[in-house]
Amino acid sequence: MSAVVSPIREPLITGHKDYHQITEDICAPSERTPSVAWVVAFLVAVSLLSFGIFCILWTIWFGIGTWNLNRTIGWGWDITNFVWWIGIGHAGTLISAILLLFRQKWRTGVNRAAEAMTIFAVLCAALFPGIHVGRIWVVFYFFPYPNTRGPLWVNFNSPLLWDLFAISTYFTVSLLFWYTGLVPDFATLRDRASGMRKKFYNYLSFGWTGAAKHWQRFESLSLVLAGLATPLVLSVHTIVSFDFATSVIPGWHTTIFPPYFVAGAIFSGFAMVLTLMVITRKILKLEDYITIEHIDSMNKVILLTGTIVGVAYLTELFIAWYSGYIYEQFAFLNRVQGIYWWAYIGMMSCNVLSPQIFWSSKMRRNITVTFLMSIFVNIGMWFERFVIIPTTLARDYLPSSWSYYSPTWVEIGIFLGTLGIFFTLYLIFTRVAPVVAIAEVKAILKSAGDQYTGEAMKKSHAAHDSHLEHGH
Amino acid sequence: MKNKEVLFGLYDDEEVLLTAVKNARTAHLDIMDVYSPFPVHGLDPILGLSESRIHQAGFVFGLIGTLTAFLFMTWVFTRDWPIIFGGKPYWSVPAFIPIIFELTVLFASIGMVVTYYAVNGQGPGVSNPVLDDRITDDKFCVAFDVTDTAVDRVDVYQQFFRETGASEVKTKTI
Amino acid sequence: MNQFTLVGRERTILFSFMILGLVCMGITFIVDDEFHSRFWSNFLHNSVFFTGIAFLALMFLCANVIALSGWHVVFKRLWEAYAQFLLVGIILMTVVVIGVWFHAHHLYHWADAESVANDEILEGKSGFLNPVMYTIFSIIVVGVWYFFATKMRALSIEEDGVAKYDFSIHKKKMKTWASWFLPIGGFTSAAVIWQWIMSIDAHWYSTLFAWYCTISWFVSMLCITVLTLIYLKSRGFYEQVDANHFHDLGKYVFGFSVFWTYLWFSQYMLIWYGNIGEETIYFHQRLEQYPVLFYGNLIVNFVLPFFVLLRNDTKRKMGVMAVICSIVLFGHWVDYFLMIKPGVLHTAHELLGHGGHSALMGAAEAIPVGHQVAADAQAHAEHASNFVSGFSLPGLLEVGTFLGFAALFVFFFMRQLEQAPLVPERDPYIDESLHHHVV
Repeated sequence: MSAVVSPIREPLITGHKDYHQITEDICAPSERTPSVAWVVAFLVAVSLLSFGIFCILWTIWFGIGTWNLNRTIGWGWDITNFVWWIGIGHAGTLISAILLLFRQKWRTGVNRAAEAMTIFAVLCAALFPGIHVGRIWVVFYFFPYPNTRGPLWVNFNSPLLWDLFAISTYFTVSLLFWYTGLVPDFATLRDRASGMRKKFYNYLSFGWTGAAKHWQRFESLSLVLAGLATPLVLSVHTIVSFDFATSVIPGWHTTIFPPYFVAGAIFSGFAMVLTLMVITRKILKLEDYITIEHIDSMNKVILLTGTIVGVAYLTELFIAWYSGYIYEQFAFLNRVQGIYWWAYIGMMSCNVLSPQIFWSSKMRRNITVTFLMSIFVNIGMWFERFVIIPTTLARDYLPSSWSYYSPTWVEIGIFLGTLGIFFTLYLIFTRVAPVVAIAEVKAILKSAGDQYTGEAMKKSHAAHDSHLEHGH
Repeated sequence: MKNKEVLFGLYDDEEVLLTAVKNARTAHLDIMDVYSPFPVHGLDPILGLSESRIHQAGFVFGLIGTLTAFLFMTWVFTRDWPIIFGGKPYWSVPAFIPIIFELTVLFASIGMVVTYYAVNGQGPGVSNPVLDDRITDDKFCVAFDVTDTAVDRVDVYQQFFRETGASEVKTKTI
Repeated sequence: MNQFTLVGRERTILFSFMILGLVCMGITFIVDDEFHSRFWSNFLHNSVFFTGIAFLALMFLCANVIALSGWHVVFKRLWEAYAQFLLVGIILMTVVVIGVWFHAHHLYHWADAESVANDEILEGKSGFLNPVMYTIFSIIVVGVWYFFATKMRALSIEEDGVAKYDFSIHKKKMKTWASWFLPIGGFTSAAVIWQWIMSIDAHWYSTLFAWYCTISWFVSMLCITVLTLIYLKSRGFYEQVDANHFHDLGKYVFGFSVFWTYLWFSQYMLIWYGNIGEETIYFHQRLEQYPVLFYGNLIVNFVLPFFVLLRNDTKRKMGVMAVICSIVLFGHWVDYFLMIKPGVLHTAHELLGHGGHSALMGAAEAIPVGHQVAADAQAHAEHASNFVSGFSLPGLLEVGTFLGFAALFVFFFMRQLEQAPLVPERDPYIDESLHHHVV
C-alpha cells in the first residue's frame, strides 16, 4: 500500500535509486579512507580546538580577569557565544521533531546530520556557563543535591538555574532521539562490516534486527519523542531569553523575547545546517539525497524565521516609542547610534535585509548564494546577541556606570575553540556514522523518489487517465 | 538457551512482503517474525500486532517528573529553607513552571527510551542473532520457527515461499 | 454531494439568532451607562473576534499553499469562505470608526481630546493613537486583507476549470499571491491589534501582545472549522472528510492551545517577575476584579484541550471534538472579553468619575507612581466587591450578542459556500487529501 502522492511534488531522492543503492551511497563515506579534504579540515578543526583548550586552561588558571568583563558589563563574549551556540543547536530538533509532526518528508535527507549538529552545538554552549563562573572546580554546586552546607539548595527561582535544567534536558533528549534513530543505521553498517569495524558497530547497534514489532515501537517512540522535543526546543531558547527578559533592564525586559528568541534560534540553526550540508553533500557525493528541494525548503524556513525576527525588531522599536518610557527609548537609540552602532548595522543587514533575497525561487535554489547567506545569517545572529548583551549593559540606567567592553585574546580564543570543538566532532561524526538517515530515506523512496513522483508520475498519470478514457 | 532452527524467505520489495504476510495469515501459518530494513507501513495490522503502549509509559514517567519537580521545589521553598527572592512570596509557582516543564520532559524521555530498549531486548553490546546481513540493506524477511517440526509442515512453508515470490529461502540455527 | 445550499430551516435558525443578537444589543443599549460602555464593548468585542478569525483563515490558507500542504485541500473552501467575512468585518469596524470620530462611544481613552491634553503618556502616543490612524488601519488595511481574500478565492475557483494535472495556476499565481499576503498580513495585523485592542489599556503595553491575540484567533478559527465540518457532515456533505482529517485538525487545536498557553505564560510571568508597576497593573486589575474569568481562561483554554486532546483516539471522535471545540471557542471568546472589558470599564470610570484628572495608571511622574498605583488600588478596592453587569462576567446579554454575531458569521460564510463546489476537484493535492491517512 503506497501512499497517494500528488504529481505536483518534486522528488526528494534523485538518481533512480533502489534500496541497495541507498545503502551503498550513504555507507560509503564511513567505509572508505578519509579524503584529503577531510584530513585538512580535521587538522584545522583540531588546531582551533587545541588553542581553545589552551585558552580555557589559561582562564581557569589565571581567573576571569583574563577576560575584559567589568562593571557594568558582566556578560560579554561568553554569554553572547553561549546564546549563539544554543540557538544553532535548535535546528536539529526542529528538523527531527517538528518536521516529523508536520510530516515533511524532506527532513529525512538532513535530520541525522542536523541532530548531530544539535548535540555538538549544545556541548559548545554548555561550556560557557561552566567556565564563566571562575571556580569551575565547584561548578557542581549548580546541581540540587543533598549537601552539608545546610543543605543549601540552588535558587530554583532564577532563570540562570532554569537554564541549567533546560540545557541538560535538551542535551539528554536530543542525544536519546538522535541515537534511537541511529541504531538501525548502525545495524546496517554492522552487517556490511568485518573484523574490528564489525565489533565496533555491533556494540553501537544494540542488537538491532529489524523485527516488525521493534519497528513498530521505534515509530511510536519517535512520534512521542518528537511530540516531547517540540515543546522542549521551544522551552530551551525561551528559558535562555528569560535570562534577559526577567530583568528590569530596558531593551531586555520585554514580553516578546521568548518567541522572538526561538524564531532567531531556528533561523541561525538552519543557517548552520545549510553551511554544513552544502559542503557535506558535495564532498560525500550525497547530492541525490540532499537535493535542491531540500535546500529550497530550508531556505524558505530561513526566510520565514528571518522575517519573524524582523517583525520582532520592528515591534520592539515601535513599542519603545509607544511606551513613552524614556529609558526604553534611549536603549534603542543607543543601539542604533551608540558606541556599538556597527554591531547593530551588522545585525540588521545580515538578519533582516539579506534573507529577503530568498523571496526569489532562483536564489533559494542557488548553492553559492545559499552558502554565503548561511554564513551571513550566523554572523548576523552573533551580532544580535552582541547587541542585546554588551551594548545594553554598557549604557544602562546610571551614566556614571557606563563603560566599554572589547574582548581579550583569551575570549576570542575560546570562541574559536568552540568552533574547533564543533567541527572536530562533526567531522568525526561524518566518518563514523551515516550522515543521512538510511532507513528513513528508504521509507520515503516509493513516495518521493524521482521514478515515483514529479514529472515521471505526471506523465504516467496522464497516460493512465487517457487510457481509461479510451478504454471505455 | 535452546537453539532454534529458523526457515526464512527473503523478498525484494515491501509490497510483495505485505501480500506474502497477508497470505500467511489467511493460511494460518504461524510466523515467527518479519524483518525489514525500514518500517513498512500497513504491516502491523496485517501481522496483528497490538498497539505499542510506550506512549502510555511516557505519560506516566512525565507525570512523575511533574510531581517530583513541583513537590520538591514547594518543599524546599516553603518548609526546608524559605528565602525571599526578589520580594516575591515563598511559594512562587510562576517561577517553578520552567523547571517543572523540563523535568516532565526529561523523565518522560529517559523513562520511555529505557523502557523501549528493555522491551526490545536491546542495549549497548547486546548481540541478537541476525538471519541475513542483507535484511538491514534491502531484503525483507519472513521467518518461521521450524525447530522440531515435521517435514510436511516444513514443506508447507517452502510451498508458501515459492507461491509468494520469495527470492531466496534459507535455514539457520540461532 | 458537492454543492452546498442553505435550507429553510438553517436560514430560520440563523436569522432567529441574529435577531436575538440585535434584541440583546438593543436592550444593552437601553440599560447601559451614559457612555453605553456595555453596548459598545460588546460590539467591539464580537466584531474584533470574528474579523480576526476571518483574517486567520486567510493567513492559514496562504501558509498551507506555501508549505505545499496537501491533507487539508478537501475542505479548504471553508477557509476561503471564512476569509470573505473580512468584508463584513470592515463594515462592523466602520461603525466603531464612526463612533470614534463622533464620540459616540468612549472605548478608547486616547480618543478623548481632553484626557490626552492632560496626560503626557497619551499625548506621547497620539502620533499612533488617533482617529486618523484608527481609520486607516481599520478600513484601509483590512480592505487590503479583503482584497487578498477575494484574489485567493478567485484563483481557487478558476482552478476548478482547468484540466487535470494542469498546475499552472497553482504554481504561478496562487503561490505568488499567498507569499505576498503572508508578510503583509503578518506586519499589518500587529498594528491593527495594537489599535483595536491593546490601546484600550492605553497606558500599558506589551511587545508580545499582537502574537498572543493572533494565536487566540487561530485556535478559534480551527475550532470553528471542526464544528463546521461536523455540521456539514451531518447534513450529508463532505463524506470524504474522515477521522484522519479530524485527527490532524485536533492536533492543531491541541498544539496551538499549548502554544497559546506558552504565550500567555510568557507575558504573565515576565511581567510578574519584573514587578514593574506600570506593567503589573494590567494583571493586577484582572486578578483582583475578574478572578473567575482570569483563571477560567487558563483552565478552559489550556487544561481542558491539553488533557482531552492528548490521546490519539479523542481527536478522531466527532462527538468529543464537537464538545471540546465548542468549549475552547467560547473560551477564546472569553479571552478576548478579558482583554477588552476591564480597560473599557476603567476608561468609563475615569471619564465619568474623575473628569479631567489625568489617568491613574502610570502617570507621567515615575516616582510617585507607586503611590498612584496604591491609591488606584484603594479606589478600585471599593469597586472590587462591586459586580458590574456585563463586565465582571459575561451576562446573558453578552452571550446573546455573541450568538447573534456568530449567526451572522455562519450565515455569511454559508452563503459563500454556496458560490462554489465544496470540494476543489482540480486542486493539485486533492488526491492526497482524499486518501489521507494519519497513523
